[in-house]
Amino acid sequence: MILTGAQIAREIEGGSITMIPFDKECLTTNSYDLTLGDEYLVYASEILDPSKNNKYEVKKIPNDGLVLKKGEFVLCHSKELLGSDNFVPIIHAKSGIARLGLFVHITADLIDIGSKGNVTFQLYSTLPVRIYSGMKIGQVSFWETKGEIELYKGKYQGSSGPRASESYKDFKIEDDLR
Amino acid sequence: MILTGNQIRKEVVKGDVIIDPFSEDQINPNSYNYRLGDDLIVFGDDNKQKTVKIDEGGYVLEPGVMYLAATKEVLGSNKFAMRLIGKSSIGRLGLFLQISADLGHVGSVHNWTLELVAAHKIRIYPGMIIGQITFWESKGKISVPVETYNKFNEPQESLFKI
Repeated sequence: MILTGAQIAREIEGGSITMIPFDKECLTTNSYDLTLGDEYLVYASEILDPSKNNKYEVKKIPNDGLVLKKGEFVLCHSKELLGSDNFVPIIHAKSGIARLGLFVHITADLIDIGSKGNVTFQLYSTLPVRIYSGMKIGQVSFWETKGEIELYKGKYQGSSGPRASESYKDFKIEDDLR
Repeated sequence: MILTGNQIRKEVVKGDVIIDPFSEDQINPNSYNYRLGDDLIVFGDDNKQKTVKIDEGGYVLEPGVMYLAATKEVLGSNKFAMRLIGKSSIGRLGLFLQISADLGHVGSVHNWTLELVAAHKIRIYPGMIIGQITFWESKGKISVPVETYNKFNEPQESLFKI
């Protein structure tokens, strides 16, 4: 079951969903709108390698916005700090953003239950587009679970700002292939 | 309702979720990590395709090109609907694993085809943890699935016909 906007508000007020800051204006019928933070991250390596710590730079989005070229890929973050110990959050683009050809995540929409922090958006533009800090860019929905809950204790817990991939920390390939 | 990691483990024991091979290490709070198989379909000019083996040195994907691969595990359920998605660690490196077709039908049990598109040049390795699958309770009578792509265990290209 997916939570309605009214239920999301109730769960935030009751403490089962963390949403800082919380603004009632951001509630939709069955999600909560997320705004773009002011930093972005670009990788410096020509070839990204999940087994390595890939070099990157974090920069500020200028006041007059940042233009993403067609096919450009950057990591950004939500202004909001969010998470839940009771519901599973799933990230989506706003349809108004998707209609501009901008992906906000790269097939990684699922947030683990118990994970709290700024969401890292994976922006990929299919057309040139200008983005602004503070704009509504995504939305988060919350889903009921079945089964005993074990909370997230992973490496991205407590993220602040855009977080680069840390896949190298637990990278392994099958022994039988070595 | 989405199954928690603990519930996925229970359903695997009961046989209502099939994950083969199954490893405790790959359970997340509300999903299960799947690995990349070692076959990759590469499309050349005029859509001609060839299958290559990804060796242990890895294979570099070019940005903006679509490749097909498959999960190393057989994954499925006769009771729960599924969503096959990426890991955030891989999304943060700009690698798409599905092209907006994430839904798995109740009754599909096989090695799933992955649609890989890189936003940035990236090296992939066979057997690496690449994505995750979630399981969802359904409401209503479950009908027998029509046999389509669920019979394929290798990366399978589109069979779409007009």
